[in-house]
Amino acid sequence: MMFSAIASKYSAFPFSLSPPSQAAGSPPETRCRYIPVRSAPPSMAPHGFGRGASRSGGLGAWRSHRVRRFMEGVSLWMAMLLVLFVQPIYAEANTGNEDSAGVLHFVDGKGQWQEPALVLGSDFDVRVSGLIADSTLVRTFRNTSDQWREGVFVFPLPEKASVYGLTMKVGERTIVGEVQPRAEAKKTYEKARDSGRHAATVEQQRPNLFTTRVANIPPGETVSVELNYQQLVSYRDGVFELTVPTTLTPRYMPGEPLAARPQEWQGGWAVPTTEVPDADAISPFTVDVDDVAADSHRASVRFTIDAGLPLARVSSPSHELASRQDGQVMMVQPQAGEIVMNRDFVLRWQPLAGQEPGAAVFHQQWEGEDYLLAMVVPGRAGKTRLPRELTFVIDTSGSMAGESIQQAREALQLGLETLAPGDRFNVIQFNSQPHALFVQPEQATANNLARARQYVSRLKADGGTEMASALTMALESQRMSADEFSEGTSPEASSRVRQVVFMTDGAVGNESALFSQIRRQLSDQRLFTVAIGSAPNRHFMREAARWGRGSYTAVQDPADISGPLVRLFAAMEAPVLTDIEVSWPSLSASMQEDSFPRRPGDLFQGEPLLQVVRGVPPVGELSVSGRLPGGAIWQKSLDLQQAASGTGLNRYWAREKIDSLLDEARIAGEEPDKARVTSLAVEHSLMSPYTSFVAVDKTPARDPESALVKDQLPTLLPAGSQPGMARYPQTATVAPLLVALGLLGLMFSVAIVLLRRRAYL
Amino acid sequence: MSRLLLLLITSSATLLVFGLWIPLKAVVAQELLAIAWAESQARQTESRPWPWADTWPVAKLSMPELGDSMIVLAGVHGESLAFGPGQMMGLEDQQGSVIIAGHRDTHFRPLQYLEPGNELQLQNRDGQWQGYRVQETRIVDSRSEFIDTHKLPAGTLLLVTCYPFDTMDAGGPLRFVVEARAEGVQTSGVLSQSASGKIHTVAGL
Repeated sequence: MMFSAIASKYSAFPFSLSPPSQAAGSPPETRCRYIPVRSAPPSMAPHGFGRGASRSGGLGAWRSHRVRRFMEGVSLWMAMLLVLFVQPIYAEANTGNEDSAGVLHFVDGKGQWQEPALVLGSDFDVRVSGLIADSTLVRTFRNTSDQWREGVFVFPLPEKASVYGLTMKVGERTIVGEVQPRAEAKKTYEKARDSGRHAATVEQQRPNLFTTRVANIPPGETVSVELNYQQLVSYRDGVFELTVPTTLTPRYMPGEPLAARPQEWQGGWAVPTTEVPDADAISPFTVDVDDVAADSHRASVRFTIDAGLPLARVSSPSHELASRQDGQVMMVQPQAGEIVMNRDFVLRWQPLAGQEPGAAVFHQQWEGEDYLLAMVVPGRAGKTRLPRELTFVIDTSGSMAGESIQQAREALQLGLETLAPGDRFNVIQFNSQPHALFVQPEQATANNLARARQYVSRLKADGGTEMASALTMALESQRMSADEFSEGTSPEASSRVRQVVFMTDGAVGNESALFSQIRRQLSDQRLFTVAIGSAPNRHFMREAARWGRGSYTAVQDPADISGPLVRLFAAMEAPVLTDIEVSWPSLSASMQEDSFPRRPGDLFQGEPLLQVVRGVPPVGELSVSGRLPGGAIWQKSLDLQQAASGTGLNRYWAREKIDSLLDEARIAGEEPDKARVTSLAVEHSLMSPYTSFVAVDKTPARDPESALVKDQLPTLLPAGSQPGMARYPQTATVAPLLVALGLLGLMFSVAIVLLRRRAYL
Repeated sequence: MSRLLLLLITSSATLLVFGLWIPLKAVVAQELLAIAWAESQARQTESRPWPWADTWPVAKLSMPELGDSMIVLAGVHGESLAFGPGQMMGLEDQQGSVIIAGHRDTHFRPLQYLEPGNELQLQNRDGQWQGYRVQETRIVDSRSEFIDTHKLPAGTLLLVTCYPFDTMDAGGPLRFVVEARAEGVQTSGVLSQSASGKIHTVAGL
């Protein structure tokens, strides 16, 4: 213990940079005790090592004896030095000031990295039938410790997923979960946890971010939690696409930290702020793949695609595929077997040329009610190009560091190429603050474009993600310049199409406030979002584009960058279908409210129109009309009797209805009708912001004597990204290691020399 | 046998010499840097301590209570940290905060003796001294925690080094962070600008 005190207070290194005298805390006599010992060896120094000495008679023997004693003294000394040197490694636990350490979750008292005791496995089984993909996600929590554990895991799901089932499996037993109002579900779970019963719950933090908690995982055993969710397959430009998100990009939390809470890292790495009060709930620790167990955070993925039409090709921009065809059904798996959960799995499939569906109707009866889902793809309109005013906004925050910023730069360069003479443009980058290339949008002259290219090529990712100010700059500056022009009597300029292209990973925690802001500031502009990176916040991208009356595109990997972007820029150039009206047959005015989306947004080239309705039997005709640019009317009618039978339409309808209720509340600027959302979600057994799933076993498993340890499972850092914001630099040298090794080696040598001397005696 | 022994002794001695060379270099470099610092103050330019250096002195950090002072270099890459503490973020970066990182085995070893209330001083190239008062010291895990440069209050000085101080593992995840706050009114306009809140980068808006 004395060694410990000395070693930690005084440097054991002979070369240490003068430790200050006043900082020495231990009593001076502790030091003095060493001084006599330290001064001893030099008195023996004149004696040599020579082997010859031992052979030269009595005096020689006496001498060699002294030499040996001296050598023993030296080696003892070296051993002591070594002990002093190595000892702090074991003693370091005592030197840390634990109160101020910000509670490190995976680091034990000695400052050593601890792998989480729970090993996480995931299994996605996705069945696509027509336009609906139904997924079963099994998460297994294997407890590798000898204590009872509670596992907490924050994970993403597709942004439009409707979660409709939870089943917990413990050994042979299967417990089916149920939907409860959020607060109630939490109480149910906590009660079960504290009474030692097996329990699992899943609650929604964001439409694409959920938290699962599993209580009382027995030592050495596995508890699995099965989630059922469904989502609509996206269909655009004749290509179907489905995304399985596996991790999330650490999000930036704007606002001031809430002072009331103690600075502890209870839920996640972020502390609640004024703008994001639940920041700790959506900021799981992000770790590198190497920091988790070798079989943890791996997922097996299986797709069964029954598209209802012959497929030309199945591909993935994110993973290598191994697919097998069985009639019209396609079975797809990643080539590598299990995938590492550090990038979204994206799957695309394409019907044979000429067989792309132009319209589709699905019908389902659920509890005596008819549900219809219709999809109509407007034909391609001729190109009439209007002069544009285009503002590119590029996210250069810390979360974009790595591959993302490169992708974003490339995307922006591609965007600049689409500009034609007569267009006006500007480039705005933002991190903690926005910065614009031009004070106001400039003509797309060769000179200005060259300046922009240079500006873009020099962009670096660093700092915070203050989107609000950037959006204001982009949306308001355009409006400003438009005002100037309307005053400046230039009729040509006012007819400009004003568009904003927003390139980001969407890694922010205050999505909701940003949507409201977009709605407020938009006026007659359109906002297009481009999702960048391995795990973008797709909920943000999709909704920002929807509130911005634009569309959203995701860029998957560097090789895939041009395809989606070329389509986006083409769609932006081509005119849209506006003023869309949908009329269902035999639908009374009061029932019209049950058709969603209530006001279909404008359509871009290649986008389908989707409508879901309740209470309409599959008879008669659905007619859809809209206005093409230039004023021409476009119309199409669909025979509902040809509807194919579908499943899960009621859930899709209920989710759309809930979303529409939430939208209305946002537009009105008031609190959503909580009771109505809750009853709707409970009726259709759905997850929502106000309802959670909970499953509880009947009999207690853990006796109250044994402790339950909480384990916050980390998520993996998205592939290709650098840890966000400013990373702490590496600030240690190998000097101590080298010195220790050197001393150790010398000590060994001396020991060997001594042994040999004894052997000769 | 004796050859093996010789080999063992030489390799151990080499290791020892290399191990001792690192701190020696750190001490000697500071002497050279002091000359370069004086020169850059006199000429008001970036003056490199030796012709092939890829870093240059940007400030002088002094810890009066510990009786220690050192020249701070630009950047935190391995090259600069070998010779002196490196500045990750300086006053010129608009945030009004300074972040300096240094090796725990060499220059920033004394950091462990800093206590809240201690004084720190930072001299910029104009020769002005800015006083700081240590607010707290804490230990962070560099894998799960980042320096949120945006959230740092204006006038913050962060000193970062590796933790624990007495370990041989050079790649450990823990960092020792000393947070200090500027004292008194600084004459440069940078602080007051960021303290006033938003900065509108585009003129005329």
